[in-house]
Amino acid sequence: MLHVVEGRQQPDPTESQDVTPRLRVEGVTVSFDGRQQAAVDDVSLSIAPGEFVALLGPSGCGKSTLLNVFAGFRAPSSGKAFLDGQPLTGPSAKCGVVFQKHSLFPWMTVLENVAFGPRRLGLQDPRGIARELLDTVGLSDVANAWPSSLSGGMQQRVGIARALATRPPVLLMDEPFGALDAQTRALMQEELLSIWDKLRPTVVFVTHDIEEAIFLADRVVVMQALPGRIAREFQIPFDRPRSPEVMDEPAFIEHRREIADIIRVEARKSFL
Amino acid sequence: MTPTRKLIAKIGSVGTALALGTAGLAIFLIIWTLASARLGNAVLLPSPLSVFETYGELISDGSLAGDVRASLVRVIAGFLMAASVAVPLALILAYSRILRGLVMPLIALIRPIPPIAWIPLAILWMGLGDPPSYFITSVAAFFPIFLNAFAGGTSLQQEHVNAARSLGAGPGALLVKVMLPSALPMIVTGSRIGLGQAWMAVVTAELIAAQSGLGYMIQVSRLSLETSRVLVGMTVIGLLGALMIGTLSIIERRVIVPWNYPR
Repeated sequence: MLHVVEGRQQPDPTESQDVTPRLRVEGVTVSFDGRQQAAVDDVSLSIAPGEFVALLGPSGCGKSTLLNVFAGFRAPSSGKAFLDGQPLTGPSAKCGVVFQKHSLFPWMTVLENVAFGPRRLGLQDPRGIARELLDTVGLSDVANAWPSSLSGGMQQRVGIARALATRPPVLLMDEPFGALDAQTRALMQEELLSIWDKLRPTVVFVTHDIEEAIFLADRVVVMQALPGRIAREFQIPFDRPRSPEVMDEPAFIEHRREIADIIRVEARKSFL
Repeated sequence: MTPTRKLIAKIGSVGTALALGTAGLAIFLIIWTLASARLGNAVLLPSPLSVFETYGELISDGSLAGDVRASLVRVIAGFLMAASVAVPLALILAYSRILRGLVMPLIALIRPIPPIAWIPLAILWMGLGDPPSYFITSVAAFFPIFLNAFAGGTSLQQEHVNAARSLGAGPGALLVKVMLPSALPMIVTGSRIGLGQAWMAVVTAELIAAQSGLGYMIQVSRLSLETSRVLVGMTVIGLLGALMIGTLSIIERRVIVPWNYPR
């Protein structure tokens, strides 16, 4: 049995211009104390139900800050954020979050980490839900291990399972594979796509890896730094389910080149 | 490595540690015996053998058990009182900036005062007997527990808080399910140090403010020049202290914070 079925009942995101966006920010600015330039400056963005959006940009472009606004961890200095048309007031179990690293609770077993959300929401049989999700990410064997005894890739899979356990319609991912080696990273990307194909949540995926963004997303939002703004958006046309071979297609290479050109200019700007 | 080999290696290393420890103890006892034979004065330094005989006497007349019980009760009572105030206070102060600002300077001023300096006040307030000893042991145990628990409370990671909130945790669950377990390793470390401090302080308190217990027994035996009884008191304190802290370490690894010691 699969938990997140909501996305499936929605129309195909590319045709659904008139449905309520799942997530929306309107003129959102986030400034930090003691810094001249806003980390996020007057950004507006709508994300349709079931859509997979990658936020891509050099470090310092405010992509993680924007994700924290979506997650409700940070209130915007000005502007508005909406979830399903309702103003966002703080973190909620409607948005599962996968962090870059070190976010599993070290004092709970793998199974209890995943069961934490269902317990808080008072769902039936939290451990059953957790077992099922661990099965989905291929980690049933280590259910009773401590997180610290797992490899980085395994820990991130547990992180994904934990975020999915509350059956959230939205999955927010903050450079989840940034700390992994290249091989593990490639495997995790395929794993994520297969989970997404099964559950179809709305995904916002923050990354600085251009190929990762194009390979995973329906839409790549490229951000620029100082101040953090949206530079350009790209619709990614490849059919799903996608396999790594898609990276050899001319259209993929063309997108990669075009995005790399923008990022290079932006990275140099914040480098100097 | 196969599990059996691992086990053999483990038993081997435990055996080596045990053999070395026993050898060290034996060498110490030999030096002690030689020194006391050379000195030839049982008041200045009785031999290990005569101390051993005194152990026999004090155990058979039941007085050692009584003194041990009196001291143990004081240590455990003082330790529990200290822990039940120190841990909640430390977590609350780690949570609230205003309370922290109010209380921390006071703590910084009181902390350097050694427990022994509290004895006159304790006797004035509470007279002789158990209460001043409880007070002194809790003063001694309080600061290590408090300071470690506070450090544990403030080292809480923002990622853990964010993760818990995005999984539907409210303020209560945050405190009990996230903040407390996250501080637990430090709380246990503080408790182990605090227990050691309380055990040292009880002897000090009993030397002056009590009429029972190991400290009192040492004091009385000193006055009657029964040095082998003094040494019985001292060695019992050493043995019991090591035993208590060792037990707490095992409980810590197996029960309280097993995730810090994955096997």
